[in-house]
Order: sequence, then structure tokens, then C-alpha cells
Amino acid sequence: MVRIIIADPSYLVRKGLSTILNELKCVTQISEVSTPDEISDAIISEMPNMMIINTSLSSIPEVDSLIKKQGTELNIISIFNSPLPNNSSEKLISILDGKSVLLNKLRNQVKNVQQSTQQQENSEELSDREKEVLQKVALGKTNKEVANELFISTHTVISHRKNITRKLGIKTVSGLTVYAILNQIIGMDDIS
Amino acid sequence: MLITADMKMADLIHLDFQLLAVIQRIGIPLGFREKTIDEVCKENNVNTDFFLQISNSFHDKDFFPKERFFEFKAEWLVNFLRRTHQCILEHKIPEIELKIEGLVEDLKATTRNYELIKNFFTEYIRELKIHMELEDNKVFPYVVELDKSLEANKKTPKFEESFSDYNIQKYLEDHNDIEEKVFDLKNILIKYLPPPMDNCKYNSLLFEIFRLEKDLSDHAKLEDKVLIPKVKLMEREIKNL
Ligand SMILES: [Fe+2]
Ligand SMILES: [Fe+2]
Repeated sequence: MVRIIIADPSYLVRKGLSTILNELKCVTQISEVSTPDEISDAIISEMPNMMIINTSLSSIPEVDSLIKKQGTELNIISIFNSPLPNNSSEKLISILDGKSVLLNKLRNQVKNVQQSTQQQENSEELSDREKEVLQKVALGKTNKEVANELFISTHTVISHRKNITRKLGIKTVSGLTVYAILNQIIGMDDIS
Repeated sequence: MLITADMKMADLIHLDFQLLAVIQRIGIPLGFREKTIDEVCKENNVNTDFFLQISNSFHDKDFFPKERFFEFKAEWLVNFLRRTHQCILEHKIPEIELKIEGLVEDLKATTRNYELIKNFFTEYIRELKIHMELEDNKVFPYVVELDKSLEANKKTPKFEESFSDYNIQKYLEDHNDIEEKVFDLKNILIKYLPPPMDNCKYNSLLFEIFRLEKDLSDHAKLEDKVLIPKVKLMEREIKNL
């Protein structure tokens, strides 16, 4: 499943892009946002693979740094309010583009994302390291404690936790604990 | 479709039965006969425009007139939020609880799994209650008193007494996400729990959980996007008194 955020101040542009994306035969979950606050909320709650964002928003410093923080996990497509040259990159679209141009560019981009997420989702299984982290988190240990016990940085623990949450679709510690018990990663008696 | 004042109230429910929740929480009883939205609102001392903006935004998620909401009396919004709490705590949660308890038969073979789900939800109810009680007992009374003070053009005695050192920022700092656990519960039931024998029962539990999640997210949206920004504006005003 490809999860997409459309970030544009204009309602008309958001709706237009939604309509076009809905014509693509891939399973997509689309959420529309219009302000920097909504962008940061949506990145946390929707866990998007792709964001189509107007340059008027992505040029705001806080949004820019937020995007950079997501790294390559989040594919960015930029929307320009001005015309683009004919052979511009597929990652750039203009609100003046016609349907065929938009459809082609977006189809290719969504396909790419879909292929890479499918690989990821097929490897839905947690890695051994992730299982170790999950086990400790499920026992109620803090990120710092997990880091110390596994001799890795807190930063690495956080990134493992993000992946665990993405793979399992479980966000809270108590949720992870239930998962860990159901899958015999920890025992019922291990928790007080 | 845009909901307007001249529509019949009964037609509104046929258009979108989910709006029954809005009608109840805004304080309007059923039994509309052929009356229009405007007529019904006036009879029940509900501001028609407030009713329209709320129902339109619950009906169509793209319709969210944030600025318009700021114009309405804070108390109307607070009452709406309070009734939502009440409905969730007194009806929706017990319903889900009952449905979870109903699973005990199906999950007998794996008592452990049943206990897990049950405990997870019990813990969630506790958190939800704490969250909503804080709002009902502290935040909402604060907003109402703030509103009264602004109306009277001076801080009311109760405001001075109970809230002189309170502000919305304090609430914001621990206004936590109450949807996350519902999200988790959903996935645990859909993806990880060994399938139950009676799918119909199980589905109806899931269905309630999906509805609760939606209800909570609409509710949080009103709190985060309307109530809090509005209170911030009011706090700025009261400083000038
Ligand atoms: Fe609330
Ligand atoms: Fe809340």
C-alpha cells in the first residue's frame, strides 16, 4: 500500500491531485494537508511513503528540515505554481501541467514507491535485531536502557523502534507488549 | 452536499445518519416532524449557524471553517465536547467492553489471549478517563470562566480564585494522544490474534473500535484545531483587561 500526503495550500489543487491519483490502479491512502503544522502531524500519524508538496510549503525552513529528517524513506514530489520546461524531472510537477503529463509522471513515481514498499512489506518479518529491541521495549525498558544493554546508541534504538512500528502497525508500548506475548517473544510471566 | 438552514432536520439524518451523534451532542432531541434545521435549532436554543458549521464539518472532512468556529461562544463548543466525553465514556466504551467480554467463549482455548486483550483495553479505559476528567474538571471550567470574564470585561471572582495561575499551555503539555492505543488494538485484532470461531461477533467488535477511533479523532480535531487556538486568543485578550 502506498501512502501519500498531498500538501498544498490550495483546496482545488489538492482535490485535483487526489482525483488523478485515484485513477491510478494502485492501492493508495491519500491524506490532504495545507499548513506546516498539518504536515508534521500527518508525517507522524500517516507514516507516508510519498509526499507531493507545493514549493511554497517546502521552502519554509521548518518544513524543509522536517523533510530532510525523513531521509530517503519519504519520496518527495514538488508542485510548482509556475510552468516547467518540457523535459523536467518526474519528481517535479506544475499546476499548469495537463492530465497526460501529470498521469505519466505520477504513475511512474507511485510505481517506483510501490515496488520498493512491496519489497519492504514482504520482508515484514522483524529482523533479529528488531526482535531483540522489541523484547526489551515490551518488558518496559526505556530507549536508553535498551541502548545500554545492546551496546548501541539511543538513536539506533529509536530508528529500530520506528521500523518495528511501521512493520507491525503498533505504536504504543502496551500494544507492543501484547504483540510480543502473542508471538512468544516474551512470556506472560515476564511482565508484572 | 452542503447542509443548509432550510433543509428538513429529518432529511439531514437520512442524508448522513452519523450526524445523529452531532444532533445529540449539541443538545437537540429527536421528533422533528417536518421542521427545518433552522426551526428545530431555534426551538432548542441552539445557534443555527453553529449547528450548520459543526454538521457540515462532520459530514465532509474537507469542510472545516476554523475561523468561523472562533466566532462562536466558547461555551457552546465546551458543551459539545463535554457531551462527547459523556457519550464515549458512558456508552461507547462499555459497549466495546461488553463485546470483548463476549469473546471469552470464542477464545476459551487461549485464555491467555483473552486476558491480554481485556487487560489492554482496561488499561486504555483508565487512561481515557483520566484524560477526559482532566478536561471536564479543569480545562473546560477554565475556558467557561475565561469566557465569562471577557464578557463582563473583568476577571470574575471564580477566575481569580481558581485559575489565576492556569493557562492553556499547561494543558497542552500533557494533552496526549488518546487514539494510538485504539489504533494498536485494531491491528492486534485484525492481524495478530489467532482467528476466532465466531466472525460475526468479532467483526462487530472491530466495527465499534473503528467507530470509536473516528469519533476520538474528530473530537481531538475540535480540541486541537478550534478550542486551543481560540483559548489562546482569549488569553491574549484577558491580559489587556
Ligand atoms: Fe476531550
Ligand atoms: Fe483531549
